[in-house]
Amino acid sequence: MFERRLYHHVDWALVAAIFALCALGVVYIYSATAARTNSHLYVTQLYAIVIGVGVMLVTLSVDYRAFTDKSHLVYCGLLLVLLYVLFLGKVEMGARRWIPLRVFNLQPSEFAKVGVALVLAKFFGENRGVPAWSDLAIAGLLTIVPLGLIAREPDLGTAVTLVPVFLAVAYLAGMRMRILGILFIGFVLLAPVVWKFGLKDYQKSRISTFLDPSQDAKGAGYQQIQARITVGSGGLTGKGFKHGTQGQLQFLPVAHNDFIFSVLAEEQGFAGVLVALGLYLFVILRSLEAARLAKDRPGSYLVLGVLASFTFQVLYNITMSAGLAPVKGLTLPLMSYGGSSMIATLAGFGLILNVRMRRFTN
Amino acid sequence: MPHEDRRRIGVRLSVMQYFVIGLFSVLAVSFWVLQVAEHAKFEEMAENNNQRTVPLRAPRGVVFDRDGQVLVENRHAYSISIVREHTKDLNATIRLLAHVLQLDPAGVKELVDRHRREPTYRPIMIVQDATLAQVTAVTVHKLELPDVDIEQIPTRRYVDALAAHLFGYVGEVNDAQVAADSSLKSGDIVGQQGIEKSYNTLLMGEDGAKHVVVNSVGREIRQLDEDLATEGHRLRLTIDADIQKAIEDGFKAAGDGGLTDAGAAVILDPRNGEVLGFSSLPAYDPNAFASGVDRKVWNSLINDDQKPLQDRAIQGRYSPGSTFKMAVALAGLEEGIITPETTVFCPGHANFYGREFHCWMDRKGGHGSIDLRRAITESCDVYFYTVANMIGVDKINKWATALGLGDMSGIDLPNEVQGLVPSTQWKLQTRHEKWYAGETISVGIGQGAVSVTPVSMAVYASSLANGGTRVTPHLLKEVDDGGGWKAVPPPAPQATADIDPEKLEPIRDGMWGVVNTPRGTGITAKVAGRDVLGKTGSAQVVGMQTHAADKTNKTLRDNGWFVFYAPRENPTIAGVVMLEHGIHGGNAARVTHHILETYFAKLDGRPLPATPTPDTMKFDFSDADR
Repeated sequence: MFERRLYHHVDWALVAAIFALCALGVVYIYSATAARTNSHLYVTQLYAIVIGVGVMLVTLSVDYRAFTDKSHLVYCGLLLVLLYVLFLGKVEMGARRWIPLRVFNLQPSEFAKVGVALVLAKFFGENRGVPAWSDLAIAGLLTIVPLGLIAREPDLGTAVTLVPVFLAVAYLAGMRMRILGILFIGFVLLAPVVWKFGLKDYQKSRISTFLDPSQDAKGAGYQQIQARITVGSGGLTGKGFKHGTQGQLQFLPVAHNDFIFSVLAEEQGFAGVLVALGLYLFVILRSLEAARLAKDRPGSYLVLGVLASFTFQVLYNITMSAGLAPVKGLTLPLMSYGGSSMIATLAGFGLILNVRMRRFTN
Repeated sequence: MPHEDRRRIGVRLSVMQYFVIGLFSVLAVSFWVLQVAEHAKFEEMAENNNQRTVPLRAPRGVVFDRDGQVLVENRHAYSISIVREHTKDLNATIRLLAHVLQLDPAGVKELVDRHRREPTYRPIMIVQDATLAQVTAVTVHKLELPDVDIEQIPTRRYVDALAAHLFGYVGEVNDAQVAADSSLKSGDIVGQQGIEKSYNTLLMGEDGAKHVVVNSVGREIRQLDEDLATEGHRLRLTIDADIQKAIEDGFKAAGDGGLTDAGAAVILDPRNGEVLGFSSLPAYDPNAFASGVDRKVWNSLINDDQKPLQDRAIQGRYSPGSTFKMAVALAGLEEGIITPETTVFCPGHANFYGREFHCWMDRKGGHGSIDLRRAITESCDVYFYTVANMIGVDKINKWATALGLGDMSGIDLPNEVQGLVPSTQWKLQTRHEKWYAGETISVGIGQGAVSVTPVSMAVYASSLANGGTRVTPHLLKEVDDGGGWKAVPPPAPQATADIDPEKLEPIRDGMWGVVNTPRGTGITAKVAGRDVLGKTGSAQVVGMQTHAADKTNKTLRDNGWFVFYAPRENPTIAGVVMLEHGIHGGNAARVTHHILETYFAKLDGRPLPATPTPDTMKFDFSDADR
């Protein structure tokens, strides 16, 4: 299955950048949780990375075409698991998102991104030429179903990450720019309706406080103001490792998770930010390169599907961690604390490496 | 892959590539703006977030008596406050805190509401002087009450609660005081009465501050630096704690014996004006003020008929009665109007300007033929009516003032009031009336318009003792600013009267007789083996010049005076004891006796006399004496 010569075609630079970001994540999880006594979250994160590497080896070794060919099965299995979570999952902090396993809680919505990327790669890959309206409708339906299930948990943040997957793959598949424009206008027109009927109060308050954080400086706006202070007070070179005040003194909530990038920005300053941004940009551009080099269309689409949710999450989380976007429960892939996210992300990169590695095989 | 597809994919991937690069550039610029361009602003905000300045209150200076015994010190009180800065649910905090402290939640809420407009980082004090149980209860609930602070503040402690009016009390500075003194700031604790007030600048010390790092819920994580508070200067007073205790024991016996609960005593060193003992009764507990007196206690103090807040020793004005007679005698002798041998016949009463004046010996048939010495010893009224009439009010005023009466003593305590020795000029100025010669008769025995403060009477006794130097009573002997004790030069005398010592001797003879001869009115003050000189006085209560028939009503009884000094040669102690409604001067002489016994015992290194009781004091409740 894994031919020896393929080893030479693994994109080691991309692998190195991915693991550099993982290491950075572990280091800043350690820093952000150092103030708590007996916190070993960074160790848990290390375990997640080890498991993730295991899963990654699987998604790398098996020819990606085997995955895309069987993606309808993967997709159906995914829907079943999401239904299971919705009705029988573990409730934490008011949301039903997790399946309790013996060692950790599995969050299936994280794997939905890969699942949807696979099924869309297969769907668009089988069609030639510019996708028709009906194609887009079917692809949209394939995206909307898991998205709806996840949004019901509720986990709007993760649900929304499926939208870029659809858009990116459809765009690459040749969707007319006109349709993209119509979709955009539709979104603008629908937004007030969604605002009125679709969003819960806490979601509305997050968005409205984003527009004016000071209107609720103690509540939802607090995190945003604190995030800006955290990042801004870091300065050019930062306050030094574990010497941040905002993160260490817990002015920033869940610093090891949603706001890990703020901690980095505080302790390593603008210099550290540039390094991390550079690594992420490298990973993304290198992955786009993989899409370009792909041997077939499903390969390109698969790479882009996986990359789309990753890029969206990276951009959103970093913007949020600087207090420049509404606070959402969206983690920073590869760096934030979280086992399911780490495993799913590494599995996704396994697929990307897989596509690039097999660019010469038949 | 068909060529067409590959080309399209290539183009669209490039679009995405530039799109992503563009977005990352925007992010990088945003971070540059936040972290570099606006860094200073956010750095300050971060510091305000996590750095707190905690004031450290300076302990006030410790106060010692002349022998180094501690009179006023500091103890640690614990205050419990709410700091709202990081409070999520203030009402929940109030509910829980009230429950933990066992206070009424409505009361706590009202307190918080009163301070709601202040900055949130400023603590709102809920309990000023918490009990140990309250401190423990809050400590136990620390995790649920992260916004509740326990602060240790040095608080005044008045040992044995002696001499309340002398020490005065402390309290939070008021707006007028802040406006008047730029070194004070709102919230400072300053002296409001007594030496706490007059020596506030020395006692106050300098507050310190510490800068601490707090976390997001306001808990102190570590200390950055600390400016230690500087303790106030230590003061050594002229007060002798043993004399002070003797005075207060004597008064207590008078109170326990049902004689009186009110009065004043001032004991001086006649050589320099050092105050050895100083009392005004009834008193209050200055400790109650140290941790903030509540409305209930305050109201009960100001509404008390006995006026415990009044410092009778410097603010009470009383008729001196017969204790005034030495001033009249001195005026007569110095002005050459009488000699010691001038004799007056006392039938028990006499008629001046058509009005009948009585001697206290009237019922026993009067003193008969009597000279100056005996007139003082036996306190003959007719004698002094007669000579006062001969001398005239202005000359009496001159010599009484020279001895210290009717004037301010200049003692280093706030709010002293001035007494009054009348003169023709005084009457013309204040009442726009001519002085009638008939009015001089009552002045001769220290009644009528004459009113004096106990402290001026102590100066009077000192002047008689030292031959006419009007010493300035003062309480401060030495100051320690941290560099060792330094003597404070005593204040200069208010005046020195030009008195012929020869003229004083017959008066002193009379005063000696008061204490040391069987017919003396103050024989109860006698101390075996010591030459004590004194004079009793029983004065009608001002405003009640007509003797009411029912003297069993305590408030209508005469005030009892005793002025004294000792020993006769080179006197070292002089003073006055006044018992409000104490009936006779003889009862004041009994209290004086205990004070002098204590003084001489201490001087000789003998054991101090036992604490007096009503039984050992044998107060005289019979009425007639004057």
